Amino acid sequence: MYALAADKGIQLFIPQLYDIVWSLVILVILAVFFYKFFMPKFQAIFDERSSKIEGNIQKAAKAREEADQARKQYQDQLGKARVEASQIRDDARAEASRIVADARTRAETEANQITENAQRSLKSQQQQALVSLKGEVGTLATALAGKILGSQLQDDAVQSSMIDSIIADQGGQPSDKRQA
Amino acid sequence: MLEAMGSGAFSLAMAKPSELPSIEDFLPPEILFQGTPFAMNRIILVRFVAMVIILLVLGITAARAKLIPSRWQGAIEWVIEFIRDSVVYDTLGEIRGKRYVPMITTIFLTILVFNLCGIVPGMNIAATATITMPLVFAIWTFCQYMVTGFREQGVWGYFKSELFPAGVPWPLYIILTPIQLLEMVIVKPASLTIRLFANMIAGHLLVAVSLAFTQFYIIEAGNKSLALAGVGWFALGFALTAFEIFVAALQAYIFAILTTVYISMSYPEEG
Repeated sequence: MYALAADKGIQLFIPQLYDIVWSLVILVILAVFFYKFFMPKFQAIFDERSSKIEGNIQKAAKAREEADQARKQYQDQLGKARVEASQIRDDARAEASRIVADARTRAETEANQITENAQRSLKSQQQQALVSLKGEVGTLATALAGKILGSQLQDDAVQSSMIDSIIADQGGQPSDKRQA
Repeated sequence: MLEAMGSGAFSLAMAKPSELPSIEDFLPPEILFQGTPFAMNRIILVRFVAMVIILLVLGITAARAKLIPSRWQGAIEWVIEFIRDSVVYDTLGEIRGKRYVPMITTIFLTILVFNLCGIVPGMNIAATATITMPLVFAIWTFCQYMVTGFREQGVWGYFKSELFPAGVPWPLYIILTPIQLLEMVIVKPASLTIRLFANMIAGHLLVAVSLAFTQFYIIEAGNKSLALAGVGWFALGFALTAFEIFVAALQAYIFAILTTVYISMSYPEEG
């Protein structure tokens, strides 16, 4: 039994011709299948997939670049707009202050003018008043004095010097005016 | 024969299972075209069945392959990428490795499926369980690394770098050169062959012995108290079957990676 087993055992290591033939046939068929069909097919799938992924990545990169550009443009415009706005604001402020200053100057001028006019009219009215007063007072005084003195003061020169002295007694101004 | 196996395996049992596995399993009778170079036996039929399964399953998968993979296609792609990246590119690098990817894929997937036949009910024997199939693969590997060496270093350059390695004092060549020659021509292919088919034979014997004893203790032996032992044998057979699946994948991986390593050794050493 042992001898038989040993005898057969060595046969495990001896390839049979038909076994070699069929093993080769099977291996060739499988190798052709893998080399010509299976691997190229999957290689094509892998390549296509990676190219597609690559394409998508490129597309995404391009889109991002465009977005970056757009953002930069937008920011540029925004900055420019900000500068412009502040410039406009500054201009407006300057304009406003100028207008205010103008208005103030004009107003002051006008006010001055008005004051001046008023003073002038006041003065002229005062003058007028003075003149009419002088006349009236003269007349009044003359009449009064006439009444008091009777006919003593018929002479014009006496009358006038008397009026002057009366006015000088009241304020100094009319006598000054008169002198000027 | 049965006595030898049976008493060795389980000397306490007085009776023996009627059907224990033996090396006869690996020397099946010719059933077709007897006596011609095209004779077929059981194991060759198993190989044909396995081949047809590979062609059909992988062929249909490849034919229906889409850009967006289904679950099954994803699994197959995972295997292809594993072989390409972890086996070939990690050893040879992408530039050198590219041309060997189909070969290593063929070797890995074919050996894997052939090995797995050992645990498929009805086949019950690995298609790689005779010396011939692993030998044919090993010869392919041998041719490939020889051709690679000739192409990369020239015929003379390849033999010179292999048989007379640089940096060795010349008297050592007297011993070293025959060893190197033996290694190149015999040891590498033979170790590939024997490792694979011996693993398959051992695995088959272990599983079959366990299941034969299960059958014996539960059904053939009259004594019902021995059924418990049968359960134990079944558990062992179950575990060994699972282990065989692991070994099938492991041996396919080892064959593929050693082939890659042998090819990479044919390239001139750098530096």
